[in-house]
Amino acid sequence: MEARGLAMTLTWALPLLLLLPTLGVVAIALGSDPRRTALGVSLLNFIPAFLVSGVVLRQGEILFGPEVSTLREVFPIQFRLGCDGLSLPLLWLTLVVTLAAMGVARAQVKRSKEYFICLLLVGLGGLGAFLSVDLFYFFSFHEVALIPSFLLIGIWGQGDRTGAAWRMTIYLMLGSLLLLLGLLGLVFAVPEISRTLDWRVLTETLRAQPLGVKHQTILAALLLVGFGTLVSLVPFHSWAPGGYASAPAPAAMLHAGVLKKFGLYGLLRLALTMTPLGWKEISWVVGLMLAGNILYLGLASLAQRDFRWLLGFSSAMHMGTLFLGLIGGTVLGLGGALVLMVGHGLSAALGFAVAGEIGHRTGTTWMQDLGGLAKKAPKLWFYLMIAGMASIGLPGMANFAGEIMIFFGAWSSHPILVGIAAWGVVLSSVAMLRAIRSISSGPVSVAMTTQQTSDLQGTSEVWPFAFLTVLLFAVGFIPNLILGPARPILERLIQP
Amino acid sequence: MSPWLCPEVLLVLAGVGLILTDALLPPGKRTVLPGIALVTSCVLLAGTIWQSGQPMTSSWGNLFVTDGLSSVFKPFFVLCLVGVTLISVRTPMGREETVRSEFLALPFFSSAGLCLLASAHDFLAIFVALELVAISLYLLVAFQRTQVKSLEAGMKLLVMGGLSTGFLVMGIAWLYAAAGTTEFTRILLEQAGRPASVALLLAVGLIVTGLAFKIAAVPFHAWAPDVYEGAPTSITAFLAVASKAAGFVLLVRIFGFGAFALDSVALVFRPILLTLGIATVTLGTLAALPQRNLKRLLAYSGIAHAGIMLLALGTLGEAGMGTVVGYLWAYLLASFPVLITIQEVERIYGSADVRHLDGLAQKDPGTALGLTLCFLSMAGLPPMLGFSAKLSVLSTLWNAGEIPGLVVGVIMAVVGLGFYLVPIRAMYWEREADSVPICRFPRFLVWILLSAGLLQLLLGLQPRPLIRLVERSLAPSVSAIIQEK
Repeated sequence: MEARGLAMTLTWALPLLLLLPTLGVVAIALGSDPRRTALGVSLLNFIPAFLVSGVVLRQGEILFGPEVSTLREVFPIQFRLGCDGLSLPLLWLTLVVTLAAMGVARAQVKRSKEYFICLLLVGLGGLGAFLSVDLFYFFSFHEVALIPSFLLIGIWGQGDRTGAAWRMTIYLMLGSLLLLLGLLGLVFAVPEISRTLDWRVLTETLRAQPLGVKHQTILAALLLVGFGTLVSLVPFHSWAPGGYASAPAPAAMLHAGVLKKFGLYGLLRLALTMTPLGWKEISWVVGLMLAGNILYLGLASLAQRDFRWLLGFSSAMHMGTLFLGLIGGTVLGLGGALVLMVGHGLSAALGFAVAGEIGHRTGTTWMQDLGGLAKKAPKLWFYLMIAGMASIGLPGMANFAGEIMIFFGAWSSHPILVGIAAWGVVLSSVAMLRAIRSISSGPVSVAMTTQQTSDLQGTSEVWPFAFLTVLLFAVGFIPNLILGPARPILERLIQP
Repeated sequence: MSPWLCPEVLLVLAGVGLILTDALLPPGKRTVLPGIALVTSCVLLAGTIWQSGQPMTSSWGNLFVTDGLSSVFKPFFVLCLVGVTLISVRTPMGREETVRSEFLALPFFSSAGLCLLASAHDFLAIFVALELVAISLYLLVAFQRTQVKSLEAGMKLLVMGGLSTGFLVMGIAWLYAAAGTTEFTRILLEQAGRPASVALLLAVGLIVTGLAFKIAAVPFHAWAPDVYEGAPTSITAFLAVASKAAGFVLLVRIFGFGAFALDSVALVFRPILLTLGIATVTLGTLAALPQRNLKRLLAYSGIAHAGIMLLALGTLGEAGMGTVVGYLWAYLLASFPVLITIQEVERIYGSADVRHLDGLAQKDPGTALGLTLCFLSMAGLPPMLGFSAKLSVLSTLWNAGEIPGLVVGVIMAVVGLGFYLVPIRAMYWEREADSVPICRFPRFLVWILLSAGLLQLLLGLQPRPLIRLVERSLAPSVSAIIQEK
């Protein structure tokens, strides 16, 4: 009895996870020190996250909010939050990347108040989406991040920031609305008597009484295009590389590291579970698209001369491998996708953080101007290597664990695609190694000799990088950290 | 509850009272008039809200009814009046200062007409009420008679309004010829179960045309941007929100549960209304893209909103009607604060160009935030109230199987971001111009904007109160129940 009471109390940790960043936003708006507040709430948020993890590891899931209403209502919206083994890794990914992003963000930036508010809101959007059980809030929270991203790129961005901000916003809005149609379709596919916006109940209903294949195919296609746009699946990708290249480093970290995972999470959680037959029908389309991601974007990344753009392209390219995990149809592949989601989130965040620091310290991210950086800034160089190695899937890092599982998982059903994906590894290695070579051992550039380039200094500047690096290795060596809690859910997911 | 205490009567009395007070006051004391007008409108709002909870038994035969719809929309119109009065009070009048009392009093008459319209249950009553609204508006639009734009706007509204009234009267005449009555319930009883005659369809078509002018639906929209731009901002607000809402209330009543809630009519008019909706939302959104004047931008966005509501209405089901009711409230909450801001921008800078908002976020963060929330709600971005409204339109269309409307609605919602983000961009990205006027926005504006923005945010996260309101508006009419007994 007492244990139950404790568990009930612990469920309040879920809304607390959303409340803390909100309070941080309010505090900053009212005048408290922006960077310290943002860092503080991001760090404080680890406490409820630990509580949530404890409950999830013990009981399998944690839920907050009213019981599912059985009354028939016009619009049965209920504020319900939940977390299980599948959302737990993403919850942690969000918290970690948010903290690192706040650590990398500079206090001396212009209009720092709005800057940190926008960053906190982007993180909050990701958190809310991963924790929502009600589809209304699931969708809404993701959209919360849309306008702050627009402003982040527009005000604090670099290069063609105006174009990038508009393109990204319009693209993501279009994707979201298509996704909304797909979600509406799922909700309305259920007979009126048991209609609900709660995806847990909806999943049960649609598993008990599956829809017809044609119906499922239409819905799966809508969800694929909707979520696919958010994940920058070819041909809906063109917002991504430029957007990330223009965004300030913390925004790019949050967006590439966290928000992009929303689309994959949604596909895993909704499309695969509720429209499995439809998903099988369109898997050849997904195959074509992901091959596009791997080959087209991989080749495009070879041509990049700017390190930020290279990261943008390679980040979008790895989405292809992730999708391969999703269509593989095995627990191994899905688990690999989950691990790669986390790995990619961490490595992309690290990459953009390094690129941001380089840009800030040298005034350029053109790779030919960066020759000799290794001598000038060995620590920065070290983390650049780590990000690069993680991104090309060096064993020991999280990305390798994810990729190898995806390859094995998809081998029996899609051997050709696995072959293409293996070529993707080659392409990304070539691109990344060329970049690293020209930065480290290329001729010492004029910029490096004339400018006073400084390295990362002191713990206060190094810790975000070290933090992400340690986690990359931790997940790489012990992928069971993620797979353990998630396995039962993934196994249920592919049961016929 | 005596029918003589209904909001309509009180509104007319208040209007007359304002003019009389002005005439009786010594010339030096006229400055108290704006205050009196504002307080009166607020008192009337409280009275109307209180009264809308009370059952009303008598309704002058069946000319007027008091039902859910009217009790939800009378407070709506009086709330509009409060906002309009607030803007009117702040309007610089220049040489027309001596006639400010008329400028303040005439909206009261118009609002009385709108309230009558909300409970009209007979086409004759509708005609009278619409004229009461329109004639005051003709005067008000052309009120700044030293300005060519204002005169031009007044002239346009007069001609277009006259034309639309012509359509409406013609329609009513045909209706009388077809059905032998102009009372809603009797038309319904008369025509139920019969195939619609050509005369009836013609009548419905003419009446819809007349109303399409009022709500500025394509192709009867051309007057709106010019009139909105030329009219004093308070009157723009009245036209953009109250007058448009009145048209929709009427459409909801006649197609939802009034005269034309007939299967035979629905068969013909459902595709027509949906087509009108598609055309309206498309044109409104695309034409808004190049606008850089806030008033014109709002005019075109209003056209787009009318299109979205027409799409919901065009499904001609209960869900569609409820959606329109909810959408109107969301529209009111989003656009009135913006209109009040436009008035202040005009007051300070002399025009409503969007570049006057440049750099607002830095000098006045509260105003910028409130304005941003309102624009986001209009754009229909979650978690604002506008998203819930748009979502219910989309789900209505999905449920009714209207795929073309659905697709157009979605595409236009995306395109709409292209112009709703323009003022937001101006406020946050741009720097303020070098020549900074000394005037700042008044403090009350910040509070209005912030509280409206916050209200929309909260209602967006938890739309239940609005859903209750919608459910209430669709409750069976009180007088109908009394009649049955």
